[in-house]
Amino acid sequence: MIYTILYGFTIGAILYFISIGLSLTFGTMRVINFAHTLTYSLGVYMLVSFIALFKGSFVMAGVLAVAVVVPISYVIERFIIRKLYGESLDYTFIATFAVTLIGIDSIKWIWGVQPHPLSDPLGIYMTIGEFTFPFYRILIVLVAILLFFALELFFKKTIVGKIVVAALEDEEGVRCLGVKVHKYFSLVFVLGSALAALGGVFYAPISAIHPYMGLSILLLAFAVVIVGGMGNLRGTFVSAFALGMVMSVTARYWSQGAETMVFIVMAIVLIFKPIDI
Amino acid sequence: MEKPTKTNLDTLAGPSAEVNRIPVREWEWIDFLVVGGGFLVLVPILSAHRMTDIMIFCIFAMSFDLMYGYMGRLSFGHLLFLGTGAYCCGLFIKYVSGNPLLAIFVGIAAATVLGMLLGPIIVRTTGACFSLINLAFNHIGFFLVLSPLKSITNGEDGFGVHAPSFTFLNPGSKTSMYFFVLFCLLLVFCLLKRVTSSPFGIMIRSIKEDENRVKFLGYNTFLHKWVTFILAGSIAGLAGTLTALNYNYVNPNVMDVHSNVGVVFACLIGGAGSLYGAVVGGVVYMLISNFLPIYIQRWEMFLGITMLLIVFRFRKGIWGYIVEYFEKKKVTRRTIKEAVER
Repeated sequence: MIYTILYGFTIGAILYFISIGLSLTFGTMRVINFAHTLTYSLGVYMLVSFIALFKGSFVMAGVLAVAVVVPISYVIERFIIRKLYGESLDYTFIATFAVTLIGIDSIKWIWGVQPHPLSDPLGIYMTIGEFTFPFYRILIVLVAILLFFALELFFKKTIVGKIVVAALEDEEGVRCLGVKVHKYFSLVFVLGSALAALGGVFYAPISAIHPYMGLSILLLAFAVVIVGGMGNLRGTFVSAFALGMVMSVTARYWSQGAETMVFIVMAIVLIFKPIDI
Repeated sequence: MEKPTKTNLDTLAGPSAEVNRIPVREWEWIDFLVVGGGFLVLVPILSAHRMTDIMIFCIFAMSFDLMYGYMGRLSFGHLLFLGTGAYCCGLFIKYVSGNPLLAIFVGIAAATVLGMLLGPIIVRTTGACFSLINLAFNHIGFFLVLSPLKSITNGEDGFGVHAPSFTFLNPGSKTSMYFFVLFCLLLVFCLLKRVTSSPFGIMIRSIKEDENRVKFLGYNTFLHKWVTFILAGSIAGLAGTLTALNYNYVNPNVMDVHSNVGVVFACLIGGAGSLYGAVVGGVVYMLISNFLPIYIQRWEMFLGITMLLIVFRFRKGIWGYIVEYFEKKKVTRRTIKEAVER
């Protein structure tokens, strides 16, 4: 049971990394970004290449992978997302999904379709009492919690964060004050994408790497954002860990049902608290 | 101040006037000939078997278009109904009786009942919520046939559907299947044409434009949305039963959540909001996804770039531009005629 809880926290942490960007894009730009997890899978594939390049230095490769994703996500924001402000849902969906298709095909082109194996980069185990935990998973959870507080600070204390929070509330109002909101939006978008890539980097060693990995986790990220509330940062944090726990507890008793349970939760939330977009 | 002329009044009335101006045509024989003839002409170019596949997809695209193009509700989980139809048809043949017509009826009935049950929950929502709740139900359905019902559906491997021949319908013969599916396609086209040009159809288009106004006029929008949802679901169920009979095989891939994108793409390529658009889009999308991989390895990239172009430049889709071209021509001809008469 202890392992189940740890596993739930790990999944929750990864989901938090990935869905925070989705939630911010939802909240600020009112754009449903299906291309969001493209950066996640790109980050993972970059990681694979850089590890081969640096002869196994995981940290170095991870940092570089996240850094490479930043300009790519800026290009996506500048040329696709920015043109979709105020568009209806279907066009947004098609455009961002087309971006995902192009991205997946490029991944297949560059790295091939076969899955890449990646092992636990730390390989250290912690023993508490009679239980042995892989330290890597605990590290992921710790980083996620750290990130939560860092983001809280960022959105409370810095002027950029304050502008974004204000824009979440009332975009027009902020624009009336003479702030170029779109500049900050693109910053938020790049931040969210980089965090998704970071999530990918952390998750890669304990999951399978294949070109379509982004699509399967995208649906989970949507569930997290909807359960937590769009553009609600704390809600996203809570719902990511709650859904991670739902997944791991379900998986313990009924291994195939794990993902579906998340969608059942999402459906229930949508039935009782419909969103308006 | 300008006097309110007729055109002026139209613009003043806003979107609801837009609805009235959509040319509402009754069902005509020419449509029947165009669609049926078009699919017959394509047979020698492609093969009959491929055409059956394409026509089934067109039926599905039309049912999707009823909900997306006409009612303005984008669903990411429409394959749920196709899968329900396919599975119920297949299971009926496997366990109860081999009669294919009866199995088709059972499949459609199952999809209809599912639409009736899920409808009241789903159609209350709009926009992203509608899409995602559909997606959630589709995921649940996919999971149900994959795992808890494994003992009867054989899980991931699926099961064979071997229906014996029944009078004119012989699922084993490609020609018989072709003509049966063509018949179904024309039937569905006829039905949907009727529905969309009836007062009911105008009502669902008005719901797309502005639901609050329709409600304000005293109409029961919930009922209209529910009926449309059920209708779209049952036609998708028909497409599912035909899929099962055509492939002689059912597996969970028929309702894979990720495949939902295809039908959305098809509707946009053809032009949403018209039945011809759905048919043209269905054919073009199937051609792209079936034939392009043979010639170009990077066909997904091609599809992605095409979709971006459609979204940012050519919103009306193929059929939309064809209609626009002919209407422009008509207008030019009329102006010339008027000028000559004067």
